[in-house]
Amino acid sequence: MKRRSFLQKGALASLSLPFVQNGLSMQAISKKLFDVPKNAEDKVLIIIRMNGGNDGLNMVFPTDQYAELLVQRANILIPENQILPLSSSVGLHPKMTGLQTLFNEGKLSVIQNVGYPEPNRSHFRSMDIWTTGALDINQTSGWLGRYFDSEFPNFPDDYPNVDFPDPFAISLGSEVSTTCQGLMGNFSHTVSNPFNASNLLLTSVTNDGTYYGGQIEYISTLINQTNEYGQQISNAASSGNSLSNLYDPNNSLAVQLKYIAQMISGGLKTKVYILNVGGFDTHDGQVDQNNLSEGVHANLLQRISDAVHAFQDDLQLMGLEQRVAGFTFSEFGRQIASNGSMGTDHGDAAPLLMFGSCISNGIIGNNPIIPDQVNNQAGVSMQIDFRDIYASILKDWFEVDPNVIQGLFEQNITYYDILQGCTNSIVESEPSGALNALVYPNPSLGQHQLRFNARNEHYEIYLLDSVGKMLYKVLDKQLTASEQNLSFEVQNLSSGTYFYMIKSGQFNQLVRFQKL
Amino acid sequence: MTPYSGPWTAAEAAHLLRRSTFGATFQDIQNAVNNGLSQTLIDLFIPSVIDPPLAYDAAEQIVNLGETWVAAVYPQDTTANQQTEGARMKSLGAWIAKNLNQESLSLTEKMLFFWQNHFGVTTSGDARAMYQYLELLRQHSLGNVKQLVKDVTIDPCMLLFLNGSSNTVFSPNENYGRELLELFTVGKGTQLAAGDYSTFTEQDVACAAKIFTGYKVQGVRSDTLTQVSSQFMPNLHDNTTKILSYHFSNQTISAAGANEYADYIDVVFNQADTATYLCRKLYRYFVNYEITPWVEQNIIADMALTFAANNYEIAPVLQELLSSEHFFDMEVRGAIIRSPIEMLMAMLNTSDTFANFDLQTTYQIYLSMYGLADQMGQTYAAPPSVAGWTAYYQAPAFYRLWINSTYIKKRFDVANILTSNAFNVNGNQFKIQVVDLLNGLSAPSVAAQVIDDLCLIFFPKDIPAADKLLIKDILTNGLPDFEWTIQYNEYLADPTNPVFYVPVESRMQAVLNVMFKMPQFHVC
Repeated sequence: MKRRSFLQKGALASLSLPFVQNGLSMQAISKKLFDVPKNAEDKVLIIIRMNGGNDGLNMVFPTDQYAELLVQRANILIPENQILPLSSSVGLHPKMTGLQTLFNEGKLSVIQNVGYPEPNRSHFRSMDIWTTGALDINQTSGWLGRYFDSEFPNFPDDYPNVDFPDPFAISLGSEVSTTCQGLMGNFSHTVSNPFNASNLLLTSVTNDGTYYGGQIEYISTLINQTNEYGQQISNAASSGNSLSNLYDPNNSLAVQLKYIAQMISGGLKTKVYILNVGGFDTHDGQVDQNNLSEGVHANLLQRISDAVHAFQDDLQLMGLEQRVAGFTFSEFGRQIASNGSMGTDHGDAAPLLMFGSCISNGIIGNNPIIPDQVNNQAGVSMQIDFRDIYASILKDWFEVDPNVIQGLFEQNITYYDILQGCTNSIVESEPSGALNALVYPNPSLGQHQLRFNARNEHYEIYLLDSVGKMLYKVLDKQLTASEQNLSFEVQNLSSGTYFYMIKSGQFNQLVRFQKL
Repeated sequence: MTPYSGPWTAAEAAHLLRRSTFGATFQDIQNAVNNGLSQTLIDLFIPSVIDPPLAYDAAEQIVNLGETWVAAVYPQDTTANQQTEGARMKSLGAWIAKNLNQESLSLTEKMLFFWQNHFGVTTSGDARAMYQYLELLRQHSLGNVKQLVKDVTIDPCMLLFLNGSSNTVFSPNENYGRELLELFTVGKGTQLAAGDYSTFTEQDVACAAKIFTGYKVQGVRSDTLTQVSSQFMPNLHDNTTKILSYHFSNQTISAAGANEYADYIDVVFNQADTATYLCRKLYRYFVNYEITPWVEQNIIADMALTFAANNYEIAPVLQELLSSEHFFDMEVRGAIIRSPIEMLMAMLNTSDTFANFDLQTTYQIYLSMYGLADQMGQTYAAPPSVAGWTAYYQAPAFYRLWINSTYIKKRFDVANILTSNAFNVNGNQFKIQVVDLLNGLSAPSVAAQVIDDLCLIFFPKDIPAADKLLIKDILTNGLPDFEWTIQYNEYLADPTNPVFYVPVESRMQAVLNVMFKMPQFHVC
């Protein structure tokens, strides 16, 4: 059960747990508390590149500053009443109903004002920064390429092989992804159509009847035959499934995401899929001047929203939701003020969207500050460094050792809890029984007590379900050395196994109980 | 042969340069367009100038690093001797690759390559001898073929390679005599009867062996002799009169000591078959693998006439062929699959990419290039047999033998290495100078023109417009074309600033990476 749906089902309302903290503060929980199960191998990451510089302020609206937005961009600003609310102060573009649904289901998060220091407004340079995950001009490998290099240092020699028959990453389209550029090779394999996975040709080669035609036909045939990944990919796609009827065949991103669903369900072990949506460079005609909710940008956002919604629906129907998470990014946002051509020019930070049933739901970070006076060329200031988001994904999703992660990045990493929605197993690090903790009565029906011997330390206690998913933080305070007797009401918990996790300093201990 | 009289555009100029050099830049193509076909051909026949290989590997124990070893003795000590030979062979391999990575457009390297395939010599056991042999081929590469065959016959490398040095009156060895006829001159025709191959018989092989008796090689890895040389030993020579077969009109070769081999080769070159055989081979190298009856009658026959009429000077034959209507026929453009060395050098030379570092780094890089070609199936100066690489003679596949599942993967690996920043030697990065390549194009700031120009350089025929758009999308990173223009102009305004330079470079690397993996790049 997802934490958010748990909350929304009203369990919270009738649970009289003491010490209840702010409902959105769960990201304070450290991943260190949990075991690293080797199911990271099954995790799939979807990256959707919004190419051209996405106008974040026309996608995620700081609705608490609508008046200021009106000062800045009246000619393109969507009427307030059409914006889809996510919270009291944040709204989505009206065309993104699919993502609004996902947000309400706990499968979408908004990470605000993502960027990097000293922004560069060149598409090319900024995209390089985003794909390398580094500000260093000399860094030419991609952030995922460096991660893959750390795991598979001999790539591309001897790959594919029996243990790794599938490509590590797939780039939908005809260009390998800079994100996956390793030291000696690119870990991404380009696929236009997994059912015909001839990655190496742009279009079909036609034999013009001359010697030349015969030669290039021969070479292309041979390329396809020796495309070892190609066979794996088409086998997976052919044996894979797709159950959602929400995919729009005219939506190119939806078509590609459906391919991905088919490849995943067909058993392909590829960890990363990269998709590209172009057209975000909306210097003019960003919106339809007769209807500001329509236009080029609206169509792009709808394409993404519809496609991701369909994909998520598909994953849920196939029971694959917990294996897949994704995010969008763009090389930069656009300026706060619009220009005179119903468009926006290159800017700085922008929101990043994460989707999947395992994301930490909600809105991470604060709304951008929209000034009440136009300051030419001002962009949205960075609040969260995208490199920290990447690092957090590696840590939480691929369960990479933080020491390794730090080696992949140039900044001192600040981790964000952005993928904490599904944790599958838990382990104690406290010497067994050191706290002499127990739940009484156990099994429990209504109220019960958690007893343990506290030291002079700060404690956090969490309620976890049977698979270790955090349900709630029930205590967060400094305790004095003494026996603790904490009372909790568990009457409205469903029947089953639960844990309290008692965390202090570097240690944590689990106390199990059964709810009847 | 009908001379070419059609339009002389960049497409024709690029075709000529692709076939006659190891890679021409965009500027080279433009120059050829401006200079016209005749002048371009004249320029192509200007021999290239090469410096001798230098010692760079610490295992060299005689000369100082940075000096040439081509006329230096070897150490006396066996181990030191072997180590020095190893160092010299590495130097030689690097030097070969360095010479192919040519700045000047000359047919010399292209013909040198032809001859080392033609004669098929692989080993000698002495790097100096191999150097001398290659220099002999280079000296004659655009010159007189009859003289070349004479000189190769008594070259120490060849004497060692095909057992000429153990061919004596007491114990004739037919190895060289047979290959001279079968592979180097008249060629082997249909077998008419036992021991009769239409162009020669076993009797001719036996005669040739006798004619060539008496040559010895001295100085191999010598600690006293500065060169490997061949020496005629009169007492080991067969002084009988040799009677050739009916294919040679039963001519006789009189005993003539040290010069007898030259008399015999004059006779062999008087055979019409020699000119025909060599011209077929030249045709396959420069035009197309398939020799149709029409080509045999109209092209090969004319080439052979020109060849004989000019006393086996090769330049007139090539000039006639490379300026013929047939050579520029759309039917044969793109018919040749680039050999590994041609492919590798096309990547480097088209962008004027040279390794220009300190001696050790430069040589190490070039030795790596030599090694990359080896991994793709072609080790220069070491063909798989005396017949050369199968791709040049094995019907019906011919050039397709360059492409198989292993080699295609290697070709793509090479493309990946050279279009990235992956290849570092002693802290120096070696990669295709994509920005120089870009800057040399006709309109680097115009994305569509960049792709058109690159297609002209790398592809023998125009490719579908849809493919060009896809490649352009890679250059522009999917953005509108004007964004590329802005990016390029920013770079141009501040060309050393990596903030502008690196994005331009990375886009161009991505473009070349894709183009190098298209089948069209692998033909020429």
